[in-house]
Amino acid sequence: MAALHQRWWFWAATLAALLALPALAPQYVVHIANFILIYTLPVVGLGFLTGFTGRVSLAQGALFGVGAYTTALLTTKLGWAPVATLVPSVLMTIVLAVSLGGAAVRLAGLYFVMATIGIQQIVWLVLMNWIELTNGPQGVRSIPAVGLGEYSLETPQQFYFLALVAAGISYFLAKRVIGSRLGLFLRALSDDQLAASSVAVEVGRAKVTALALSAAWAGAGGFLYAHYVRFIHPDMFGLEPSVLFLVMSMFGGYRSIEGMIVATALLESATEYLRPFGEFRMIAYGMILLLGMMFFPMGILTLVRRRAGAPAAGKD
Amino acid sequence: MFDQLFIGGLATGCVYAVVGLGFTLVYRTLRMVNFAQGHVFMAGAFLGLVIAERVHLPALPLLFVVGAVAFALGMVLERLVFRRLYHNHEVFIVGSIGLGIVLMNGVRVFFPEPVPFPKVFGSEVVQIGAARFQEGYLWVVLSTLVLVVLLHAMFTYTRTGRALRAVAADAEIAATVGVDVKRAIALTFGLSFAVAAIAGVLIGPLYFVSFDMGDMVGLKAFSAAVFGGINSIPGTILGGLVIGVLENLAGGYISSAYKDLVAFVILLVMLIWRPTGLLGRETPVKV
Repeated sequence: MAALHQRWWFWAATLAALLALPALAPQYVVHIANFILIYTLPVVGLGFLTGFTGRVSLAQGALFGVGAYTTALLTTKLGWAPVATLVPSVLMTIVLAVSLGGAAVRLAGLYFVMATIGIQQIVWLVLMNWIELTNGPQGVRSIPAVGLGEYSLETPQQFYFLALVAAGISYFLAKRVIGSRLGLFLRALSDDQLAASSVAVEVGRAKVTALALSAAWAGAGGFLYAHYVRFIHPDMFGLEPSVLFLVMSMFGGYRSIEGMIVATALLESATEYLRPFGEFRMIAYGMILLLGMMFFPMGILTLVRRRAGAPAAGKD
Repeated sequence: MFDQLFIGGLATGCVYAVVGLGFTLVYRTLRMVNFAQGHVFMAGAFLGLVIAERVHLPALPLLFVVGAVAFALGMVLERLVFRRLYHNHEVFIVGSIGLGIVLMNGVRVFFPEPVPFPKVFGSEVVQIGAARFQEGYLWVVLSTLVLVVLLHAMFTYTRTGRALRAVAADAEIAATVGVDVKRAIALTFGLSFAVAAIAGVLIGPLYFVSFDMGDMVGLKAFSAAVFGGINSIPGTILGGLVIGVLENLAGGYISSAYKDLVAFVILLVMLIWRPTGLLGRETPVKV
């Protein structure tokens, strides 16, 4: 029996539901959907690193912030058109990730996580304290909305289609990367480094490439984020979003992009709908992380998959 | 100015060292990093506050009581929570971060604003050389010294201490010669909670205590542990002191804005240059 996601009607129905959402759902739901679509990018980016080199990063929030700050500063201080800053944002994020993390990516497992915590804190502290460039704790205000010709994407409903297209493109691009020769190298790498290097995979270069890919997706996500919320502050890119992105990618199971997207949607809606609980919201969030890790260490979707009789996520 | 900055840095460094010891104890035994450590430090400070406000205790018994309660809490949480997270290091990291968030926001419900800590260590001003500082700083440095000596004695001369070291060196072999590994791991968490909580009480009277005080201290203590060698107790202490002093000097002479950056730059450079840290021995896998 073919899996659900291999049937054409499943895809058609998903697409129809996604396209109809802004017309049918209340604004608040569209607003949350936008965040889900935006977060999909850094989370899928993290998937490259985690799923294909076995390395976990706690700096994805900082890279997301580098993308957001690059476009925010180019548009507000130099007056660039938002559309023109996508490429510089992505490039800036890649350059920063590779220059700070390029040497660290050789480190195994836990040591790499430790290094990414250093990177995360360094980026956050610089955003906070380099006041002449970033405005420091005042943040960057009145970032323009993305405009297409004379049409500017200001309301959540208008932005939704941009976010949907961006998430869609990033999803298919990610699939292409995984299916490519490079993806093959990276998967070989995460299965067995020694074996991979013995069949002429250049281990060092492949790892840096995976890092650059994950940064590119984070930078593009940051670009979207900055032009959607239109006010950014260093605290939006601290350790907290890094943890959130990591959890989203882990809850999805390590190697399934669809799983990560579903996990992003679940976790983001859960944290949004916890808002009425005020100060207890963060306690509940902490409990979700803790209990999730205690009872579903291989991702929440493993539960569904096991029932469906397919192999558990991370094992295929 | 130098004396002032140096002694202030030494006191902060002692706190990093003691909180960092918590990271080291758990890491040596399990090869895992417990990111709730900083929040245990914070919870310790509030535990001290709550006790000191109700019962008038002299400083030493207060430290002892807080240490004992935190020890018990560490053992209980190991049984209920940590034991289910030994799956792999990512799971442990995220789980312990979740626990930290619960601790931090749990305290926030009761103490949403920073509160002053009772001056349990006296408030006289002491003069050494050109530096003038509160009596509390001396307490921090001396208590750290005593704590380290006690820990060292325990690990060297007691049966339990030797069992803990055996488990840290090789749990499987320790088990075959009759060490109760589960008990040793629980004791390790108890110890790591106790030292962090004691550090919280020591630093409390010097500043205000607030629910988010564990965030930065935890991460810096972690940097200190990695810098000195996360599997080495003397390394962690050295790392804590060096980072405490260096960041205070950098804050005084270079720029107070980037003071916090010192610890993390040291962390990153050290990991790339020598992942085992100054005094660590174990070779991490590096391909």
